[in-house]
Parts: sequence; structure tokens; C-alpha cells
Amino acid sequence: MNEQKKSTRSSFAEALVEMGYKNKNIVTVAADSASRYGDFVKKFPERSFNVGIAEQTMIGVAAGLALSGKIPVVTSYANFLTFRAIEQVRVDIATSGLNVKLIGTDTGFSSAWLGFTHLALEDMAAVRAVPNIAIIDPADAAEAYKATEAIFKYEGPVYMRLRGRKEEPLLPVAEKSFEIGKGQILAEGGDVLIVACGGAVYDSLKAAEILQSKGMHATVVNMATIRPLDEELLMKLTSSIKHIVTVEHHNITGGLGSAVAEFLAENNPDVRLMRLGVKNRFGTAGSEDMLKKEFGLDSESLGSRVERFLKDY
Amino acid sequence: MVLPVYKASENIDTIREAADRIRKDCIRMSTRAGTGHLGPALSLAEILAVLYKGVMRYDAQNPKWPERDRFILSKGHGCLALYSMLSQAGFFERSLLDEFCSVYDTMLPGHPEIKLPGVEANTGSLGHGIALGMGMALAARIDGRDSRVFVVTGDGELQEGSNWEAAMAAAHHRLDNLIVIVDRNKLQLGDFTENISQLEPLADKWRSFGWGVRVVDGHNIEELLSTFKQVPFVCGKPSAVIASTIKGKGLAIAENKVEWHYKVLTPQQYEELKNEMSLEELCHE
Repeated sequence: MNEQKKSTRSSFAEALVEMGYKNKNIVTVAADSASRYGDFVKKFPERSFNVGIAEQTMIGVAAGLALSGKIPVVTSYANFLTFRAIEQVRVDIATSGLNVKLIGTDTGFSSAWLGFTHLALEDMAAVRAVPNIAIIDPADAAEAYKATEAIFKYEGPVYMRLRGRKEEPLLPVAEKSFEIGKGQILAEGGDVLIVACGGAVYDSLKAAEILQSKGMHATVVNMATIRPLDEELLMKLTSSIKHIVTVEHHNITGGLGSAVAEFLAENNPDVRLMRLGVKNRFGTAGSEDMLKKEFGLDSESLGSRVERFLKDY
Repeated sequence: MVLPVYKASENIDTIREAADRIRKDCIRMSTRAGTGHLGPALSLAEILAVLYKGVMRYDAQNPKWPERDRFILSKGHGCLALYSMLSQAGFFERSLLDEFCSVYDTMLPGHPEIKLPGVEANTGSLGHGIALGMGMALAARIDGRDSRVFVVTGDGELQEGSNWEAAMAAAHHRLDNLIVIVDRNKLQLGDFTENISQLEPLADKWRSFGWGVRVVDGHNIEELLSTFKQVPFVCGKPSAVIASTIKGKGLAIAENKVEWHYKVLTPQQYEELKNEMSLEELCHE
């Protein structure tokens, strides 16, 4: 894999500044979270607002700006953006389909030392329960850049998950284009289909390599858009592959695994499905590696869980 | 500057007629539908009549006119009064009022939605309007428009903490194009506000949050008119008008009664009051 490293957050900020030059309707609203906008605030001070540590107000202000024709971006730790302000997200933004871009940061295990308050493992579930909002979880920094460009070309509310400041390896997705609602095949094999999103894509690819060395061949899909789900791709791939595994740095309730399970149960029940992620637990303080091990989501654990799944079923 | 089709009037009688029309429409619409927040709508009549007839700039033929003043009914449950006022202002046909809570997917549901011309934001969940108004006021600043944003909140609504987040932030951003009017009818769903979670000293609260404040009689048209003409009360500060009102005002059996938060007349009661209050026929042939 490519040895270059970069954080999804810094990539987002760079793309945001670029988009800010291209579209003067883009404005940012921060809840003491302005640093996540990188240079945007410095370059466009007249289009940058900070409402203080007040996520509900941040969302309401963004809605008011959108109702006046602006394209507001809001950001905070994913839990505070979603759970704290979900009512404003629902009433002020989603019901009216306002063109607001919601950026939740520090998702998955990326800021796990901060403890369970900040560990965002249910944020997608909260947003998925609300109609009308596209949900994106980019696999790496390069995809985060392209996704940031894409969300401003998309008219309507979007929730995008980013991770922390830590630099992460760039994946082969970097060479592919990004389109909202389209999954990307990163590896091809006929024994098992691994569908992953966000920070889980890297270890899923590694796990596929481990499986390969043992003679098991995996197709790996980067499902960066959780809503709208790429149903066409799922239908196509599950017509020949009958063992499906979803992998996410999120609770298996309400996120990618749920979305895939719901779709397959109603449209192609002739498959075996295993959802890997966090199962009905909160996170706890630790390094990203510690948490991935604890939840069986590091590449070795993933490899052996998939192997067992293929043998037992 | 483009002149709006609607021109503000200082004719007190015209405004009084509009307020009177609001009351009658509220009573009729809610009786017809058998539902509606009548008490909280009746306290709003003069506030809305003064804003729409004497203060705000808008063009009902062109509801999205960018230079317009914005109005947000943060206490969305008071929408009966807003619907009447918007129809009087010409945003839609008066006959549409008959669809209040009585046809599927009505443009006039139990809380206002932007699908109805003249409604600027979906409201109904309390504590949202000030932040929404703040966003609109910031947009006006970015665009260099002199649009003002008027937000009406309930008084019980101010128990929601989100109002005070937004109040603090709006003052920090020196949004003197933002005006909040508190419909201080002293009652909320369950009891008097002061028996549930004390709001007083309310004017001091707003002042301490950095707002210019006036306390007025919310049923006195002259006083409301002259107050709104003075905004911003302090240059660089958002304005709060605490309008002292009576919940259920104008319908004797409902005035200042907690149970009339969400209660309507029976058709029989309506018929009994029809002559005395000069109400319209409940159903047109």
C-alpha cells in the first residue's frame, strides 16, 4: 500500500478552502470548533462564525443561513453534533432538506483516549434514524478531499464522518474517483464479500491479504456512502458471493452493517451475513490499536473471524 | 432600493381591524377543525397585526424577495394567528384557512411549515427560533442587506436552554438586526410559568445577556408600534421586547385559563357566541 500518510481532518480543511474560493455562498459555523476549518476562517473571516460551545445554536444558525441561500458547514465532535443537537438537525435542517453540511469529527476509535463521551460509535445510527440526510464515511484522507468537493456539488443535507488529527496511510481508493452513493471495489475475490467504511477499510484490505495467503479470496468494497446505499452494487456482487461481512468503526446497530442487513434481508436473503463492529457496548479510553484489538477489528482479528465464518457456515 | 408591494401603515384602526380579524379567524378555524392551540394564538393578535401591518417590509406577491424582513414564529403552536395574518397580508387565499388541520397534508398544520407562502422556517419544537433568526440576521450582514429578523417566542418556551445559548451568541455577534418578542402571557401548558420554573426577573435576564430591552403592553397597538419603530434600542445590540399579554385574550371563557392552552370551542359554543362576537358562519354553504 501507498506509504503516504495524512489525516482526514486536514484533507477536509484543505478542500474546504478550495471550495470557499470557488463558491462564495459557503460559510462556516463553529461551536468553538473553528480549528477544524483550517485556513478557511483566516481566508474568509466574513463568512466564518463561531457561536461558542453551543451545538444546538450552531445547527440553528446554519439553518437560518441556509434559508437565506448560504451553504453552511458545521462541525463538532460527532457525538455532540449528532446526539446533542439531533433535534435541531431533524427539525431545522432535515425536514426542510436544507443545504447544510454536517461534519462530525473524531469518529470511531480515532480519539479514544478522550473516553466514551467522545468516542463516536453511534453517530451514524442517530443520523440514519432521521430521513433526508446523506451519510458519508471516507476511507482515507484522499477520499475525504474528494468527498468534501462532492458534498458541495450535492444539493441537500449531508453528514460526513471524519476522524482525528492522526495521520493515516493513504489507500488505493486515492486513485479512484468519488461519487456519493457509489461503493468502490478495492479487491476482487469469489469467496467472501467484505463491505467496509471509514477507518475500517484499511484493516479490511489487510485482512483480505491475510485470507489470500491462506487461499481464501475476498472482494473488498469501500462503501463510503452509507446513505444512499449502493444497492445496485450489493445486488450484483451478492448474486455470486454468498458470504457477506460488514466492517465498521461504529456500533453494528444503525450503521453500515444495519444498512446492508436491512437491504439484503428484503432483497437477497439467500446469503450469510456477519456484521463486525462494536456490538451493544460503549467504547472506553485507549489507543486506536487497543480498541481495534478489543473489538476484534484489527486486521489479524478480522482475518481470523472471516476465516471462521467461511468454515462454520 | 426596490419598494415592497406592501407599505407599512400607521393607521391604528387598520391594525386594530387586522388583530380583530386574527381573533375571529383563530376561533373559527379551531372550532371547525376541533383542534388547535387557541389560547396561545389569541395572545399574539396585536403583536402580529402591528408587525405585518405597521412594521415589516415584505412583498406577499414575491414571498422570497431577498430584501424582505423575516418573521419566525418560534412558538409555532401559535400558528392559528399567523395563518390568519398571512392570509390578510395576501400571501394566500383566505379560503385556504378552512384547511387548517382538516385535510391530509394540509398547508396549515398544527405547527407552521415552510411549504406555506410567508412561513420562513419550520417551527413547533420550542427553543429553535432565536438561533434560526440569528442565522438569517448573519446572512443579511454578509449580503449587506438591511433586512431585519423578528422572532416571536413564548414565555414558557424560554425555559428551553437553547434560547439562552442563542441569546448569548447573538449579542456577541452584535446582531442589532435581530428582534425577539416574548409573548409574555404568563401561562404555559401545565400552569403559570412562575409556578413551574420561574422566569422573572425576565427583563434583567435579557439585559444581562447583552440585549436592548423594552417591556410593553402586548395588546396596546400604539405602544407596540412605537416600540418596534425604535429598534434597535441600542446600536450594536439585538433587541428584546417583552410583550405582556393575556393568554386567550378576547375570548372571555379562555382568558388567563391554563386549560385553554390546547382547547377549542364546541360548535354549539361557537353558535352561542356568534352574534355577540360578530363571528362568521362556521361553515360556508
